Amino acid sequence: MQEFIMHELQYIALSIMAVVYIAKIFWILSFKPAVENTPSAGNKRKAITMSFFSIAMPWSMESSRKKWYKWVEFVILHIGITVAILASFFIPESPFLMTPGIILFFQIVLSLAFVVSIVRLGRRMFSPVNRLISHPDDYFSIFVTLLWFFLAFFAMPMDKSNWMFTGYFVLTAVLIAYVPFSKMSHYILWPFSRYYFGKHFGHRGTYPKTKPNY
Amino acid sequence: MSDEINKSEKASKAEESFKNKINRQALLSLGVCVHCGMCTESCHYFLATDDPKMAPAYKADQVRKLYKKYFDWTGRLLPKWVGGGELENEDDLKELQDIVFGSCTMCRRCSFSCPMGVDKALLMRTGRSILTEQGYAPQGVIDVSKDQWEVGNQMGVTDEDYLDTIEWLSDELKSELDDPNAEIPLDKPNCKILYAVNPREIKYDPRSLLAAAKIFYVAGESWTMPTKGWDNTNFGLFSGDNELGAHMGNLVFDAVERLNAEVLVTSECGHGYRATAWESPNWTKRKLNFPIYNFLETMVKYVKEGRIKLDPSLNPNSVTYHDPCNLGRSGGITEEPRYLLKRSVSNFKEMYPNRQDNYCCTGGGGAMSMSEYAKKRLESASVKADQLKNAGAKIVATACHNCIDGLNDLIKYYKLGMKTSLVGELVAEALVFDKMYVTPVPRVEEFKQTILVIDDEPDVVLFLTTFFNDNGFNTLSANDDTQAIKILEKEVPDIITLDLIMPGRSGLNFYNTLKTNEKFKNIPVVIVSGVNPDNPGQYDARKFVYEHSLPRPDGYIEKPVNKELLLMTVQKCLELKQN
Repeated sequence: MQEFIMHELQYIALSIMAVVYIAKIFWILSFKPAVENTPSAGNKRKAITMSFFSIAMPWSMESSRKKWYKWVEFVILHIGITVAILASFFIPESPFLMTPGIILFFQIVLSLAFVVSIVRLGRRMFSPVNRLISHPDDYFSIFVTLLWFFLAFFAMPMDKSNWMFTGYFVLTAVLIAYVPFSKMSHYILWPFSRYYFGKHFGHRGTYPKTKPNY
Repeated sequence: MSDEINKSEKASKAEESFKNKINRQALLSLGVCVHCGMCTESCHYFLATDDPKMAPAYKADQVRKLYKKYFDWTGRLLPKWVGGGELENEDDLKELQDIVFGSCTMCRRCSFSCPMGVDKALLMRTGRSILTEQGYAPQGVIDVSKDQWEVGNQMGVTDEDYLDTIEWLSDELKSELDDPNAEIPLDKPNCKILYAVNPREIKYDPRSLLAAAKIFYVAGESWTMPTKGWDNTNFGLFSGDNELGAHMGNLVFDAVERLNAEVLVTSECGHGYRATAWESPNWTKRKLNFPIYNFLETMVKYVKEGRIKLDPSLNPNSVTYHDPCNLGRSGGITEEPRYLLKRSVSNFKEMYPNRQDNYCCTGGGGAMSMSEYAKKRLESASVKADQLKNAGAKIVATACHNCIDGLNDLIKYYKLGMKTSLVGELVAEALVFDKMYVTPVPRVEEFKQTILVIDDEPDVVLFLTTFFNDNGFNTLSANDDTQAIKILEKEVPDIITLDLIMPGRSGLNFYNTLKTNEKFKNIPVVIVSGVNPDNPGQYDARKFVYEHSLPRPDGYIEKPVNKELLLMTVQKCLELKQN
């Protein structure tokens, strides 16, 4: 059963995810884009590139300049997610990669990501603004991610007798299948969104931020 | 089933319209938000009130709920899970109107602070669009849109008034430049530039047009204004009505093609420039064979080519610059005004934050025509007021008529004691003429006419009567409507200046009486009024103009009175009356 959960179940979940994502991309592309009917006043290519990389340049946006801690949280959370995903491949497919050093590194990252998740869940629950803009999907997504980090942390030593090891893989499969239907699928929309943001404002010459050229 | 039955027809139509308006960019902005709240502190409405409902993500969610309900894959099955919702009835439409019109100026400051690239202004405009179609929009927006559809300009200026004003301004130009050949050309074919303006420049404040005419004159430019298609503003941008947007765009573009001008230049108007240069070509789907520039760009060109020379010492006061949202964030113009100001004023002080990070003047997105939201607008302006105060300048320059009105309102409301000016006006002040600049001498003989000053404040009456007497007018004065009527029974003045905010509703009642009386209705009336501190929108200029089914006043000057503008307005009204 455990083998099925570590392998076949993951493939089934991944297949569901892939099918839904492909369908979603086609769905997005089925909507006509607004087209600019004017000559460009800026450098669109540069703007699109900058738009993508703005996520790695916290100084480029006022929000991340002022709320740098939220940007740090974002980085930790997403590295945590990457680690949890990588581990779900390493453990069943290439367990030799899980050296003590890697396990320790993964556990440190996962524990930090777990803490960040608690902070973020707390913020959703107690910050008046975040509470107001949060829906069940927002709470569920952060809660299930938090639980995932928790289980992943204890699954890292690869003790198959530990229920949390099995729990980690079950939850990974559930998450993989659920993500395309939740807010967590934002990373499918994000590249499109940043592309069009860069394209639109780059076309008008307002993005990237203008530097005096006189 | 019962939901369908209970849903109002307008709500259903609004939802249907929403479903038809979603393009790829809107879909992405609707779908990608993760409710992180990073945009919250970018909004001046939120910063000023600390009200969670002013958070941009919350406001966007009021439009997004339709996406979640009708487009989102999970939302179609479990709408509540993802924040999906419907518009059920008229109350829902009104509530949405209060958000998309009354709580957002579509300044796009939050869009630039969003890590996901959500363009919330696009969502607000989509919300406005579906509401406007159902008649849910502030009265001012509806009225102005109607004027643009029917008359072709946003202030309902008739062809006759327009031509008279241009003629009068040409006379002013001749007098100021001491050159009988100086003029504001009308419908001149084959010029280099066709200049389109904001109707405010024709109707209420022609100083900027006069400044532009001087600059064109000194630069030796070949330019013209059209008799049709001269309004560069476009309420289609604010109401979300792309058809109106295309209509206004077509009027201006047709004028350029009809007169065979090489270039279209829009005067200093943020949304006018954005609408004309960037949005109208999309709305009209026209491939234009001429470029469109802002007047700022044109002035920079003149300076660089040495066609105009500027002396900054002619503007000794400290000046800061407010970036209009539609130029800074949506139009790509941030450095041109700075280039000009650094050469036109002796003490330029940068405002922080600036350029794409600047705060909205709080009058954008058509907010100046939405008097029902004036109180909220002015409360939200505390952020801008602090920013202006910290800039420590005496004059706030900007390149947008809408911003001028918005800034003037908040400067008065927060008692900042600053003045506002368009960049072009400062440039015109700094112009170095080859020949001696002739200061206009008040034409005493010509204007020995009588002005009735009506104001409940004796100090203001004294100030205005003295000012008019000094400029060659006879004056009469009254402190309320009763006194004014008694005076009118004995003598009919040539023009009246009227304060609307007097005890009771006497100012408004008097105006009503005057304009419905056969004997008096042709007397030009210049409203000289201020903001009611208890109810900022009560006698707001826009409210007065848009909400009362009365003839529009001939002039509208806000207190504290700008003497130059007042004199110019009175002179213009008298000349137009004579014509």
